[in-house]
Amino acid sequence: MYTALSPSRSRSGTFSASSLYLLLESPGDLYADLCPQRFLLPFGSVCTPLCLSSFTSEYLKDASKKMKSGLMFIKLVNPCSGEGAIYLFNICLQQLFEIKVFKEKHHSWFINQSVQSGGLLHFATPMDPLFLLLHYLIKADKEGKFQPLDQVVVDDKFPNCILLLKLPELEKLLRHVTEEREIDKKKYYKFSKEKTLKWLEKKVNQTVAALKTNNVNVGARVQSTAFFSGDQVSSGKEEDYIRYAHGLISDYISKELSDDLSKYLKLPEPSASLPKPPSKKVKLSDEPVEAKEDYTKFNSKDLKTEKKNSKMTAAQKALAKVDKSGMKSIDSFFGVKNKKRIGKI
Amino acid sequence: MESSDEVAVHKHRIHLRTATLRDAAPVTLHLLPCEVPVNQPAPVGRFFTPAIRLPPPGLEVSFRGRKLRGEEVSVPPGLVGYVMVMEDKHDFSEGSENNEEQGEQELVESPEALERDFDCFIGATASFSRFTLWGLETIPGPDAKVRGALTWPSLAAAIHAQVPED
Repeated sequence: MYTALSPSRSRSGTFSASSLYLLLESPGDLYADLCPQRFLLPFGSVCTPLCLSSFTSEYLKDASKKMKSGLMFIKLVNPCSGEGAIYLFNICLQQLFEIKVFKEKHHSWFINQSVQSGGLLHFATPMDPLFLLLHYLIKADKEGKFQPLDQVVVDDKFPNCILLLKLPELEKLLRHVTEEREIDKKKYYKFSKEKTLKWLEKKVNQTVAALKTNNVNVGARVQSTAFFSGDQVSSGKEEDYIRYAHGLISDYISKELSDDLSKYLKLPEPSASLPKPPSKKVKLSDEPVEAKEDYTKFNSKDLKTEKKNSKMTAAQKALAKVDKSGMKSIDSFFGVKNKKRIGKI
Repeated sequence: MESSDEVAVHKHRIHLRTATLRDAAPVTLHLLPCEVPVNQPAPVGRFFTPAIRLPPPGLEVSFRGRKLRGEEVSVPPGLVGYVMVMEDKHDFSEGSENNEEQGEQELVESPEALERDFDCFIGATASFSRFTLWGLETIPGPDAKVRGALTWPSLAAAIHAQVPED
């Protein structure tokens, strides 16, 4: 019964399949370029994923015989869906990375002198562990009382979640989303919706800033302008940016919290925003908007099932199995952002 | 793949052999606008690469009788690409199982979590900092989906950056 995640034991003689990954060159270097508040976690010194910090070297000395490396892919909960998703965990630096997969239909790789189907590209990017902790804090809040963190972060389904308890500066992180009490030098925490919404609003704001710097097209309104007026640079409305950022952040929180955040940000109610802003599609055809939506939904579903059925390499299968359920394709952000945006709110 | 029993408990860990990241040699990559439903060696250097021409702007090649137009795409700064391959066998040299009690007990959960069935390895066989992106008949250009995806790391950095304290 323990074979679901086992590695691809390809029959001898078969070609070993490859996956393409983008990893941080060196977290230390990368964050050196960013302003201090952009630090995901304090690294102490500049340190590549290969270096041992004093914090973990003892552990690694012991475990390296078996562990072999400080980086491992593990399955943890996806805080949005509650299902499983794959993460990369750096034991040395005590850092969490999320894994996203880019996949476009009808693509393949040539890798040196070989061919690789699927055309997948994996991204490993640092993830704020507080999103995962928040998932457990909200779950534990049903008890309605202050609890120590090691009672909060428990998961029969994803036992690797206890790795989260080892992350540095947890107390500082938790301050953003909890009320805390200290009794006999032990900390007890309770989810605070009020603080959490404040924290999420800040997340939305810094995401809006990044959307602007990266010139991300944030709305149908923007797109249609661009469509009708050629290369004219269109400035998106602030609300479009906020809505888009809200959509991105919502991938890391529950539906309920996402709705609360939407209200907190004073974004229009879902019903109010349903009549879409005038977009190129609507203007160019008389087809009812709804039909179009259904059609695209059908399409994307179709794509998904096809993804599952399509031939995957053994390695992809192994990874996909770890994860498939909860992992979102980057595609869904960047390929169909308008649909996603509208569906989300 | 013997995966019929979906396990409810996910203890599995895929260890990345970090040493392989250090030694990974650069690789030549082409992202093709078509499905090739196999994973196997292919004489890319004999038939594909020599046929690439350089009519500005960009690249051109004929593949299976179709014209492809291509361009170089760089991996965003701060990131490195790796080609990773899952290892066939569990390789636990130094067999001393289940004795990581010194140090960080909490980090290592129940002993069976380190059993062979749960742990496997993946390693990098090559690295890349750019690849050639091909489109059918036309150069993929700035609207290529994969280019959008490559902006993800900078967005993710903003989403996951710590927020300033009040």
